[in-house]
Amino acid sequence: MGADSGAGAAPGHSVPWRKVLWEHQPYPDNYVDQRFLEELRRNEGIRQYRYWPVVREAGLVAQQLSCVALFITIWLYMEQSLLSPTTLLWTSLLSAFLGYGLYQALRPGVGSSCQPRTRLADLQSATIFLSFTFGFSPVLKTLTESVSTDTVYAMSAVMLLAHLVSFPYAQPSPPGSLSLNAALFASVCLASRLPGALHTFAMLSCALLMFALWPCLLHRIKECAPGHFPGVCVSVCVGGVGGLGSQWLGGAVLLALALGSVILLCPLLLVRLQRHKDTIQGPWDEAEIHEDLIHFIH
Amino acid sequence: MVLKIFYPQCCNRADSGLLVGRWIPGHDSAVVLAVIHYPFIPSQVKQYLNQIQCENQGQLSVLGCWSMPKDGQEGMESFLRDLSTIFPQGRWLQLSRQIGKIGFTCQVLHRDQNGKLIQNERKEEEEEEGATELRDEDTVVFVHYEQRKVMLSQLHPVDNGVYHPQAVPSFEVWQVFQTVAQSEPLFFLDKYDEGPLKLTHWQSEGREASIIVELLKQVSTPLCLFVTWLLHLWTWFCSIRILHVRPVTFLSAKLSTCVQLQYRTEHMRILSSHQRATTHTHFMRKANILTSFLVDVALGLLLIYCLYRENRIGRLANTLVPAADHVAKELEDLLQWLMGAPAGLKMNRALDQVLGRFFLYHIHLWIGYIHLMSPFIEMILWYVGLSACLGLTFALSLLSDTVALLTFHIYCFYVYGARLYCLTVYGLSSLWRLFRGKKWNVLRQRVDSCFYDLDQLFIGTLLFTIQLFLLPTMALYYLVFTLLRLVVVLFQGLLHLSVDFINTFPLFAIGLRTFRPYRLAEGVKFQVLCEEPGTPLHLMMEINPLKSIMVMQIYRTPTYNCYPKDSWGGLIKKLFVGELVYPWRHKVTKYD
Repeated sequence: MGADSGAGAAPGHSVPWRKVLWEHQPYPDNYVDQRFLEELRRNEGIRQYRYWPVVREAGLVAQQLSCVALFITIWLYMEQSLLSPTTLLWTSLLSAFLGYGLYQALRPGVGSSCQPRTRLADLQSATIFLSFTFGFSPVLKTLTESVSTDTVYAMSAVMLLAHLVSFPYAQPSPPGSLSLNAALFASVCLASRLPGALHTFAMLSCALLMFALWPCLLHRIKECAPGHFPGVCVSVCVGGVGGLGSQWLGGAVLLALALGSVILLCPLLLVRLQRHKDTIQGPWDEAEIHEDLIHFIH
Repeated sequence: MVLKIFYPQCCNRADSGLLVGRWIPGHDSAVVLAVIHYPFIPSQVKQYLNQIQCENQGQLSVLGCWSMPKDGQEGMESFLRDLSTIFPQGRWLQLSRQIGKIGFTCQVLHRDQNGKLIQNERKEEEEEEGATELRDEDTVVFVHYEQRKVMLSQLHPVDNGVYHPQAVPSFEVWQVFQTVAQSEPLFFLDKYDEGPLKLTHWQSEGREASIIVELLKQVSTPLCLFVTWLLHLWTWFCSIRILHVRPVTFLSAKLSTCVQLQYRTEHMRILSSHQRATTHTHFMRKANILTSFLVDVALGLLLIYCLYRENRIGRLANTLVPAADHVAKELEDLLQWLMGAPAGLKMNRALDQVLGRFFLYHIHLWIGYIHLMSPFIEMILWYVGLSACLGLTFALSLLSDTVALLTFHIYCFYVYGARLYCLTVYGLSSLWRLFRGKKWNVLRQRVDSCFYDLDQLFIGTLLFTIQLFLLPTMALYYLVFTLLRLVVVLFQGLLHLSVDFINTFPLFAIGLRTFRPYRLAEGVKFQVLCEEPGTPLHLMMEINPLKSIMVMQIYRTPTYNCYPKDSWGGLIKKLFVGELVYPWRHKVTKYD
């Protein structure tokens, strides 16, 4: 807007051209002068990725994949009666205590989010979980009796896939509804295939631990002890591959390949392709409203 | 200007005399009601007309004179013209007819401002409309009507297939009908009476009456009094305090027998009221009620005769308990089938067993009660069957109530199944929203996203899984019991519809339409009788009877209509969601 005499009139016309439409100018309607596209911005806000930090972040995806593999391994062991439910129960309880202790020890600085949960509230939640699961496990055991095995496997696979896809990788701490629900649904389907009610109870407790509580701990580690985070991811991946390998070698190989591609190949691709990125922005874009309601809620 | 004269057919061959009738206000027409013959004394004629006018509010007057000269009666013309001075009218008609000719001749005399009569020339031929302005003379059209039929007929103004009982159209035909109907006292004098006046009208050959009708009229008053006294007793009985307790009123609203009783009581009250029916609608309604009640009672007595002959009712009672047993056995077999693997469907065994055993226990209790009652059934049925003498509708209502009582357990099963299924469906839909991380915003009536707590997510997912896998079992039980209930409801609905039909069918009106079609008129039609040049146009007015469908529509007795409450789509939606359906609803009727 605004014509300057410096813009210069086009040859042959005395009046300089202005970029307005409400005045009748001697130029045709689609005339542009040499200031055309001077407000074009290319690749605005683009970030230059570097390889190793991206690999670090990709570790989260890989470890979640391994978590799922680990869960399936435990289920395979329970189904073949190689693992007794009481062992699993005690192990889960122990790991829960350890994890809780670590969680409390790694408390962040003073100025963090609003009300931290009291120990009593945590105890209450734990009691509710355990009693509910224990009470409903006979009912849960008979749920899929009449459904064929293939259907059960297919349903669980789809649900676990949904869990992986909808997992909130950016911020794992408040667990996403769909991902957690899908994982729990899959674990109920699988747990109802086990021989006894106690097996079901043990499986469900293990699933709760791995899918609901472990991401919170992981998030805490990532925030407060970032140096240890890659080590944790690597150990989980190794555990997953190893566990699956003890039952099904082909699966282990597949998992290793998948992990490798996620951790090493995909970041490479990302960094390489970043070079080809070519976005343009200008005053012709639609206006975007940047209002963050999250600040009002938490 | 066309002057229309409505002339009764009975006076076509009357002797010469005075024309008595009425000018229709607002239209250029006159209705001739009777002819007063010679000899008469004019003052007595005026006295008689005044007397008639006081009795009903019609405005009768002398319209003119009529002459049909026989042999030896020449010279009447001047006499007739002089009469016009005795009876002061605005217009004076002079009609005459020759023996052997069909057409009449007519002269219209107007009275000018001085009071003298001026004669206008009459037209020879039928006048065309376009030439009205040229000649300012009267054209006379004679419209013949059958007096008795018009007197008894009732005009129904129907506009585009809709009946407007309150509309009083101002058109001529309505006024004609009203005039003739209101002049009934004029027709009481016939030619055998020894009075000073001799009239000719439709009843002048002598009044007819039927002995049966007269007897019924005499009997009806004491009968009405008796029925009123019975109704008093019955109303007193119904208003006893103990019958107004909540459970009794609830039960009496549900049982169709009680509803039918109430309905008939109301009818009896209408029939036995002291006032005679004033309007035509009121009269028709009373007549319809009476005929349908009589037909009802006759059919009921026929039913009693069929049932009690050869002790058929005893045999019926003896088959009742085995029939109930048989139904229970069938239900048990059905439940055993459901508890197995019905139609190859895989059900959740535990839930199946629970539900199946629960319903089986119910049936066991029910059969126990039936067997407890079995010694008394024959006696109860014998006495209850006698009550069919109150009418066939009563017997049908009793049958419907008996069926409802005998299938009460099916109703219970349906309610249980529907409640469980409804709970499952609502729970599932709510927990599905939790699964996706959303919730229902009641204020805004929409689905919003929501942050759930870990506990809520966990328990919600568990319950969702359980309900999802138990849904097929619940749905199957619900389906089976709903189908059974719908069969029972259908049968009851058929019974109610037939009761409704007997109650509301206007038998009297349809009978009238069949045997005396002129009584219910929709309009009139005209037929040309005589169109000779030199005489005025003669038309015959015939009554157009009302169509039978309109008769049914207009004269249906209002009733507690038994009609389906929901449309098909609404019903299917309710069944799908698990809401309880009560497909037939009774409308509470208001009497005007």
